[in-house]
Amino acid sequence: MIVERKWLWPLLGGVAFLQSAALFGMVYERHRLLKSGREITLSVRPLDPRDLFRGDYVTLGYDISTLTKSDTESDPDYGGFVAGSDAFVTLAPKPEGGWTVAHAGSTYPSKVAPGEVVLKGRVLSAWKSQDPAVTNVTVRYGIEQYFVPEGTGRDLEAKVRDHKIEAIVAVGSDGGAAIKGLVIDGERHEDPPLL
Amino acid sequence: MWSPYKKRVLRDVDRWQSQGWLSDEGRTAIVADIQSRGRDFNLASALGILASVLFGFAAISFVAAHWEDVPRLARLALLLACIWAGYGIAGWLEARGHSLLADAGVLFSSGMFGASIMLISQMYHIAGNAADGVLFWWIGTLVAGVALRSNPTLALTMVLVCVWSFLKISENNDVHWPFLIGWGLVTVAFAWQRWWPGLHLSALALSLFIVSIGYLLESGHSHDLVAIVGVLAALGAVALEKLRPDLDHIAAPVFAYAVAVAYEGLFVLQFFESAPLGRLIVLAVVTLVLLIAVIAYAMAQGNRGALWIAYIAFSIEVLSLYGVTVGSILGTSLFFLIAAVIVAALAYAALRLARQSQSGGLAA
Repeated sequence: MIVERKWLWPLLGGVAFLQSAALFGMVYERHRLLKSGREITLSVRPLDPRDLFRGDYVTLGYDISTLTKSDTESDPDYGGFVAGSDAFVTLAPKPEGGWTVAHAGSTYPSKVAPGEVVLKGRVLSAWKSQDPAVTNVTVRYGIEQYFVPEGTGRDLEAKVRDHKIEAIVAVGSDGGAAIKGLVIDGERHEDPPLL
Repeated sequence: MWSPYKKRVLRDVDRWQSQGWLSDEGRTAIVADIQSRGRDFNLASALGILASVLFGFAAISFVAAHWEDVPRLARLALLLACIWAGYGIAGWLEARGHSLLADAGVLFSSGMFGASIMLISQMYHIAGNAADGVLFWWIGTLVAGVALRSNPTLALTMVLVCVWSFLKISENNDVHWPFLIGWGLVTVAFAWQRWWPGLHLSALALSLFIVSIGYLLESGHSHDLVAIVGVLAALGAVALEKLRPDLDHIAAPVFAYAVAVAYEGLFVLQFFESAPLGRLIVLAVVTLVLLIAVIAYAMAQGNRGALWIAYIAFSIEVLSLYGVTVGSILGTSLFFLIAAVIVAALAYAALRLARQSQSGGLAA
């Protein structure tokens, strides 16, 4: 460090304040999304249970994580999906509960029916299968990891085997999504809010 | 100032004095001048830096272990307290003149800033944005490094910029051009600080980036571009050295890094891209001629870094060619013939160089 004496403490304080403010901003943004975002419940696709709680976080798979062209036939923008691009997926409620993909595109949809919800994700991979009409797209929404306390993974894993898991997701108006908690066999597990 | 240089000069000074070329006053003046230049990197500050790196790793693994017994707000408060404590200790040490130890405090806080980002990501189950998290981290450390003029923190920033680009490249499998923005910002900061090891780090990072382009553009087959960029950069360094001899301390390292980049491109073109025999021979001849030219030039300029890189590249080249040619149409005997011609040419070049320096010495 080569700092003039009279500037030393103001600069140190300024940097510490800026970094703290940035972290608070990060927390506040998430906090607001969880609080004000629209809550939807997505069923978690059965994963190999041995894989599920092996580490200190769970990898969650969703039906909407992989899209095929049949989901998006109405969408002329489908060709815009390349690895790394944005993906906006419109979900419509199913009559029997749960959500189904109504539309998918690389820009925010121009019209969204009331009741529908738009999720923003990032395309992980897009590849054409042998049938040229079919393209498979893998999308990540940033809700694929659920952290669990160290050592409790095994218990949850046993609990989860042969049980139905759903993820409670808060969706913001821009499509950003955050996990609020899990529903295991109708039992709601949710982290208490920070503040 | 690096101590090997100091030691070398001191040894030479002693020798010159014993030869009677240097008076006692002259020796005292030279030693005083050398001692006064630059700050020594003492053991305490080196250990301080290491300790702060270890503290940072401890914090990160602590967070990774998902520290459930403590309420989340308290965890966040603890990490923020660590950030402020690191800066507080840095200020206390700086005020007492322990400038290098103060750097360790700043580095510690920058590590804690990253640990806090990880903790918040974990608290809110934010998945799959490791690259965004590292981007956030390096912007924070860049601000700290520039505002507090802390070289170790700027070095951490350069490393984080590389990690960020690496994560982005593995995500998208495409050239990550925004790397150049981060690289440029940190390099300007290094230049502003006049910190040579940092500029070497910049050169190394940029070399790695150029090499990565070869594996990413044109579905991983644009190594010719890497070789051309390397050769052009080397020629640019030579031109700089000729036009502005006073800038040779910049041109010499640039030349060395450019040679390494150019050879990496040429090596991949020859041995990984399964070049047909004719193309391989042309490329091998070009490579060997260029390497000999580099060796001759580096010897003439006293550029030890470039000389070593060229020696190593030459050895790798000859061994790889040997491996490829054994049992092929070219035949081992032809290979040895080529090797002999090259070595003879080298010997001739060395002889001429020796003569030149001898005649130069006589003229002086």
